[in-house]
Amino acid sequence: MTLVKDTVSAARRPRPAATATAGRPGRRRDNLAGYLFMSPWIAGFLLLTAGPMVASLYFAFTDYNLFNSPKWVGLDNFTRMFDDPRWQKSVEVTVRYVVIGTPLKLLLALGVALLLAQSRRGQAFYRAAFYAPSLIGASVSVGFVWRSLFSDGAIVDRTQTFFGWHVGGWVGNADWVLYCLVALTVWQFGAPMVIFLAGLKQVPRELYEAAEMDGAGPFRKFWNITLPMISPVLFFNVLLETIHSFQIFGSAYVVSNTYCGPADATLVYTCYLYQQGFRNAQMGFASAMAWMLLLAVALVTAVLFWSQKKWVHYEEGAR
Amino acid sequence: MSATTTTKPPVLGRRRTGSLAWHLGALLVLAIILYPVVWVVGASFKPSKDIVNSLTLFPSHPILANFKGLADGIADIRVWTFFQNSLLYAGGAVVGVLVSCSLTAYAFARILFAGRNLLFSLMIGTLLLPYHVLLIPQYVMFQKLGLVNTYVPLLVGKYLATEAFFVFLMVQFMRNLPRELDEAARLDGCGHLRTYWSIVLPLCRPALITSAIFTFINAWNDFMGPLIYLNEPGKYTVSLGLMMFRDSDGVAANYGGMIAMSLVALLPVLLFFLAFQRYLIDGMATSGLKG
Amino acid sequence: MGTSRNLERRTLLKAAGASAAALGLATTAGCGGGSGSGDGTVTIRYSWWGAEERAKKINQTIALFEKKHPKIKVKTDFQTYQSFWEKFQTQAAGGNPPDVFQNAVTFLRKYDKRGILLDLKSQAQAGNLSLDHFRAGVTKVGQVDGRQLGIPVGSNTMALVIDKKVFRKAGVEPRPGWTWDEYFKSLKTVHDRTKVAGDTGYFTIMYLYDLYLRQNGKAFYTEDGLGFDKADLTEWWTDGYNRVKAGIVTDPKVVQQDMPKSSLSAGHGASEFTWDNFTVRYSAEGDSTYGLAPIPTTDGKHTGQYLASLMLSASAHTAHPREVAQFIDFMVHDPEVGRIMGYDRGILASTEQYGAYRPADAVNKEIAQYEEDTAKSGVLGTITPHPSGADTIEAAFLRIGGDLGQGKTKVADAVKQFFTESEAAFQG
Repeated sequence: MTLVKDTVSAARRPRPAATATAGRPGRRRDNLAGYLFMSPWIAGFLLLTAGPMVASLYFAFTDYNLFNSPKWVGLDNFTRMFDDPRWQKSVEVTVRYVVIGTPLKLLLALGVALLLAQSRRGQAFYRAAFYAPSLIGASVSVGFVWRSLFSDGAIVDRTQTFFGWHVGGWVGNADWVLYCLVALTVWQFGAPMVIFLAGLKQVPRELYEAAEMDGAGPFRKFWNITLPMISPVLFFNVLLETIHSFQIFGSAYVVSNTYCGPADATLVYTCYLYQQGFRNAQMGFASAMAWMLLLAVALVTAVLFWSQKKWVHYEEGAR
Repeated sequence: MSATTTTKPPVLGRRRTGSLAWHLGALLVLAIILYPVVWVVGASFKPSKDIVNSLTLFPSHPILANFKGLADGIADIRVWTFFQNSLLYAGGAVVGVLVSCSLTAYAFARILFAGRNLLFSLMIGTLLLPYHVLLIPQYVMFQKLGLVNTYVPLLVGKYLATEAFFVFLMVQFMRNLPRELDEAARLDGCGHLRTYWSIVLPLCRPALITSAIFTFINAWNDFMGPLIYLNEPGKYTVSLGLMMFRDSDGVAANYGGMIAMSLVALLPVLLFFLAFQRYLIDGMATSGLKG
Repeated sequence: MGTSRNLERRTLLKAAGASAAALGLATTAGCGGGSGSGDGTVTIRYSWWGAEERAKKINQTIALFEKKHPKIKVKTDFQTYQSFWEKFQTQAAGGNPPDVFQNAVTFLRKYDKRGILLDLKSQAQAGNLSLDHFRAGVTKVGQVDGRQLGIPVGSNTMALVIDKKVFRKAGVEPRPGWTWDEYFKSLKTVHDRTKVAGDTGYFTIMYLYDLYLRQNGKAFYTEDGLGFDKADLTEWWTDGYNRVKAGIVTDPKVVQQDMPKSSLSAGHGASEFTWDNFTVRYSAEGDSTYGLAPIPTTDGKHTGQYLASLMLSASAHTAHPREVAQFIDFMVHDPEVGRIMGYDRGILASTEQYGAYRPADAVNKEIAQYEEDTAKSGVLGTITPHPSGADTIEAAFLRIGGDLGQGKTKVADAVKQFFTESEAAFQG
């Protein structure tokens, strides 16, 4: 039913269509055709993915600074990283961003999807309107707008002050500026919402009717039917949103005026990687950082996949 | 698409009050969501000094100075140049993604060949791979090849099907096309190329359109790629051109011009959205669901 | 299935190896800058940092140059200061730096060490470029170990810019030779009487701390390291932080907020230390009137000031050293170029250009006056050497000082962090 399940099983499970063709003659020709059709992807994979991955793994253990030829330094980059307060800070900032932003975004997406799923009147319109921010959220324009809206004396400050909680502008305030970025990602809840909505539409109505006959209230219905039924979609959203959040760059760079400050408060991981790699030319160190990011993302993915056995329900007999 | 046509949603709040609350809630979310967009429209007609601090959405005396300033360009570069560059980049990306991803998807979905499943897993794996691992070696490679400050590093991946998301989208779509079509084509003596071109591609139009629009918008919004690879202001895309309005060395930015440029930069995406929102949303929805 | 998969794995590995080899192979192929064509016309690439105003002026001067030298075409590109040096670094590393580019003392030794800079003395000896007719002392800024690595286009010196209206309102009058105590007392008066913070954040500016150290017989740098110790910096930053808390110095939150505008022009501070030729920006950005004031002193006499300069440097890799030298010569000596550029990159460095440009507006007149007065008063010393890594250290000083001002780090930690980063920068 979902991408993820599909992905996991793709390697193992023979497809009905595949078995049908397997026994036919002309298999060799299919191999040739297959690889011919695949050739752009294979070239791309080798030149732009696999090759660079090998190279960056190598750089990670060298002192490469663009000017010298890389010299092997063993684990130096990694030990330096763990001792580096700015690296620690960037990890802290990124984790906070992911841990606060992603759940908020998904909760809002799910909440609004549930709301929209209740009525058909106006649904298409709202769905489209709520989705729009996801398309423009990544643009530099919105970064500028965000900086303005969260400045001293702008709408957010005035609203907050109106409720008696004066903070001033968020963008200059090291304690608040990260929430400005969190707000920006939450604002783009439309994309996961659309996926939730599609998932909700696939929940068979009979299940609700049966539950109603058993006297279940809305909460029970949500907990016992909706949530399990959409758990694959939820899993998909959690996985993709988390992975994306770890890689935030543009919005932090633009909102913080390219410095990822103040006081490194928006120094997200990729921003520090950029500074080390492209500003200080510490390509070895930056490559080591990139591999740590890869490991972190892989770890999170693995944990999510492991945990899905406990809470993700796949329909029996889904293809 | 089948995902949208299955069962009806649970109908709960049928009563008037429920319906009213529903619309109120939806409108409230709508107001918050759209505020920044409406704000930028209004702000672009305000003098620079009022942009941040004036709370009125639309100025009582709208001015056109910000837009007139755009017509003069920035640093002897016409604003239109940035748009041309972005169009070139986005257009080139669309062509590349359509061709390379559909070929790859056809192989995955319609041809049986040794190692297909392994390659498919690898392809999906790249979907989850953080781009930053590739960033530095790719940069070093393109630099050694003398391709920095060209569009090659930005586009080459699009022509080599590295956009796994779109490959995946098309694979999903092609798998749902009836097998019998291929069989019939084969009986008529069509090779894979003919089958791909005359039968599968035309039927995949929705997936192709979705991929094309997403590719266009992604390229239009792309910031990190141009930031790293482009050096000459004359080659800048809209994203980088926009940064020029903000940037200052000595004199602070032209705030009004920056906001006006922000709006103008958003317009193509918003127009695309209005024209094709169905394709976008359905495409998005099917990425999480298989029909 | 088993065999075919193995086979595939092998091909994959092989292919991966091949691509890695291709990558390695590619590392040997460099790219020369510049180009020539059949009819003897050469094209040189000129990169600089700056913004729109400077771009327009430079484009005019290039049109002028191309008219006088029809066989030389000049291609330009520019970025902001920070992006410029990011791009420059990667280009230089790739063996493809611009043929000629804007440069500053902070970067001189860094790129000299990496063999990027052309010694222009040989071009001067060949008669393509004149090192004569410069205002006293400015050519020294571009010299390292007897080689001329940069030719100054304009000179500047650190200055204090004040919001004249606020100072007048507070009844405070800066005077030459005033001491730091008097200065900070004045700031307090300004703050007490006008509610405006006196200064926008003096303690994060490397160049100002350099002046303070010079007044006390030290300097920010020695030839190869830092010229002060942790105790010195602890004192400087502790005082700075206390002044933020006291409201005498603008809250760094506000400073961040105002960016890219300066807090002085935003009305959130009454004075700011900066390069004298930057004064123009305040009048363009803000509503008040701004003026230059003397740098406070320790002993009532010495300000520690020196002339710094923006320079033009050439790439050691350029294929057209002669044309590049001619271009630089034109850009620094031609009077018409001087009239077009004005004080955009500092007070014009050559006497031809200095004489050709008569500032018409009050701000530029004041800048010229300031630099003349400073020179006359005899406070100008020799520029502090800036070892390789000085650029990174300047940025670190600003950033860490800012963190401190936000109250995010303790002084002791900030000082430690700064020394650690400096050490890494010197090695890099």
